[in-house]
Amino acid sequence: MTSTKTDVVAEGLGAAKAPRLSVVGFLMALPPLLLVLFFVGLPVLIAFTFSLGFTTGPNRVLSMIGQEIHKKDQWWGTFSAYKDVIHDPRFAGDMRTTLAITFISTTLVLLMALGIGIYQRMIGGRLASVMTALTLVPLFVPVVIAAWAIHTFYAGDGFMRSFFSQFGIEFPTVTSTVSAIAIGTIWTSLPFAILMVTSGLQSIPDALIETAQDAGAGFIRIIRTVLIPLAITPIVIAGTFTAIGILGSFTIPLFLGPNQPTMLGVEISNFFGAYNRPQQSIVMAFIVFASASGIALIYIWANVRSAKQSGRI
Amino acid sequence: MLKKKYASVLVATALVALSLGASLPTTQAAIPAIQVYISGDTNVQDLWEKTLVPAFKLANPGYDVNVTLDLHGTHDAQETAKITAAFATRKDAGADLIDGGFVQQLGSAGLLFKGTTALIPNLSTVSRAVLTIGKGGIPYRASAVLLAYNSTNVKTPPKTLDELLVWVKAHPGKFTYNTPSGGGSGFAFVQTVIDKYLTNAERKTLVLGVNKDLQPKWKTGLETLRGLNAYTYGKNGTYPANNAETLKDIATGLVDMGTVWSDQFASAIKDGTMPANIKVTQIANPAFTGGAAYLGIPRTSKNYKAAQVLANWVLSPAGQNLIVAGTMNGMPVIPVSMLDPKIAQGLSTVDVTNLRAPYFSANGNDLKSAWALAVPGK
Repeated sequence: MTSTKTDVVAEGLGAAKAPRLSVVGFLMALPPLLLVLFFVGLPVLIAFTFSLGFTTGPNRVLSMIGQEIHKKDQWWGTFSAYKDVIHDPRFAGDMRTTLAITFISTTLVLLMALGIGIYQRMIGGRLASVMTALTLVPLFVPVVIAAWAIHTFYAGDGFMRSFFSQFGIEFPTVTSTVSAIAIGTIWTSLPFAILMVTSGLQSIPDALIETAQDAGAGFIRIIRTVLIPLAITPIVIAGTFTAIGILGSFTIPLFLGPNQPTMLGVEISNFFGAYNRPQQSIVMAFIVFASASGIALIYIWANVRSAKQSGRI
Repeated sequence: MLKKKYASVLVATALVALSLGASLPTTQAAIPAIQVYISGDTNVQDLWEKTLVPAFKLANPGYDVNVTLDLHGTHDAQETAKITAAFATRKDAGADLIDGGFVQQLGSAGLLFKGTTALIPNLSTVSRAVLTIGKGGIPYRASAVLLAYNSTNVKTPPKTLDELLVWVKAHPGKFTYNTPSGGGSGFAFVQTVIDKYLTNAERKTLVLGVNKDLQPKWKTGLETLRGLNAYTYGKNGTYPANNAETLKDIATGLVDMGTVWSDQFASAIKDGTMPANIKVTQIANPAFTGGAAYLGIPRTSKNYKAAQVLANWVLSPAGQNLIVAGTMNGMPVIPVSMLDPKIAQGLSTVDVTNLRAPYFSANGNDLKSAWALAVPGK
């Protein structure tokens, strides 16, 4: 009780004593804020007005060049471009594929990360460390190289088919399928999730696990009631980051996926480039943005929860 | 001490200024480097950087050329926007000569110096029909899409589009073409099947300008293409992503037949990446599309006079010889009789003026979208 009081006093004194320091701190925090404001926030705002049919000012040039541009017919704009996208038969398939891949890959990534994290935490040893280190390798392989490697591995003339045909087995061609996208996204997302989850599990004190063991808890029960609840914040953060990353992925579905349906990242690029329909591509981008915001809410919830637990709020 | 330092700096500055002032009037003002902007594959980059530019500089001392590549034309829309914006605000867009598929679009928007014989005298040797399609662009080389086939497995390749369609259905999984949005060779196949059901007049309308009214007539062709899903490579309605992947599928023997660009195929044969038993042929009724590649000199260019000299030189027999004989393996836009006889010998008998032109770019964009809606994965 007393210690909390002195802490508060000390903090209060610090704040009162160093107004100059706080100005310096504010200035240090300013550049990233301004960067996000001017180079992300402002373009997002302009793009949003373009999607609503505001075709003058900063949107003038794009609307001169693009095809199927809808101009606003109300003071607030028009939803015609949004209707275009929703009524486009491609969109439903793309949205389904994107959400399904995001859900399946994120779930598998978390399960695998938990598997290796729990193995390292509970059993440990040299082998566990080597395995964890090996799983981090994809972190150092650029996505485009990884995508191409997976492509040559599973393609019609790839390694798997060549190898199995030696024994008279016809291995299926995995490339140009949704499964290939899942393989690729899991491969690239795994290292970050493993880093987050293992460090979360490592921070759980030995005493807690030993106490549970002394009380007679089995392996599964310790995982279920001690490890996962105590590491839930890093697990949720790993999950949200993985999901947002997969939701916006482009290279993997472009190289490994089918032509149609594809993930929205690729479709946005098709609409912007090949079909020259910038307004519709921006509408799709906003739909991806909205989905990502939904995932971000979970992230914020996890952060607030951990802040509450540590008494920061 | 400090004063002394300042003084010496001042003297030095004055000296430099004097020497600059004295030297400026005597030497001829240097011509700024010509900024060439390419939108295309690496073979086009090699054509400019390794073949045309060194020869041009040798023939025209005092000129310098700077080449920028936008691989696969990924930023065509942005570059078009940049030039449009630069024109509207009367600024230099940073490109003096553009080599890319969007040149015609710039031309029809009035953003180019019109390619006429007054500006580019050598254009007088180029066919009028090819010039008209250019919409103000300067045709400088040509290529066509051809049917590549594995001569070991296919003894008598199809001669017409109908024969090809019959062959594809008789040999499931042995034919492929890439997505039209990923490369021109696949686009040519799609447009050729679509054109089968259109009249000559309708085809011409779609080549020369934007036309939405004719697009419903694409339906029959798209249905024919959808009908091929079960017979093309993979048998599941998936298609290679780009020209290079089609070439790779043919070279590795995954498929026996596919559509390829004449120039890319010739380069692959020369490099040894394409086995010698792969041959090419052109089909008829209708033939695959092809046409000239166009150069554009944007009206925003401040260095347009130098760009005209370069464009004119590219159209000279010396420039055309390099396009045909170099790594590009292109087709000339000037009469073959004007070329070096030795080089002309190796040239196929395809006549540039008879090539079926691809659709106007806006119609082409709509066709890419229509194909993606109707064909793959259905």
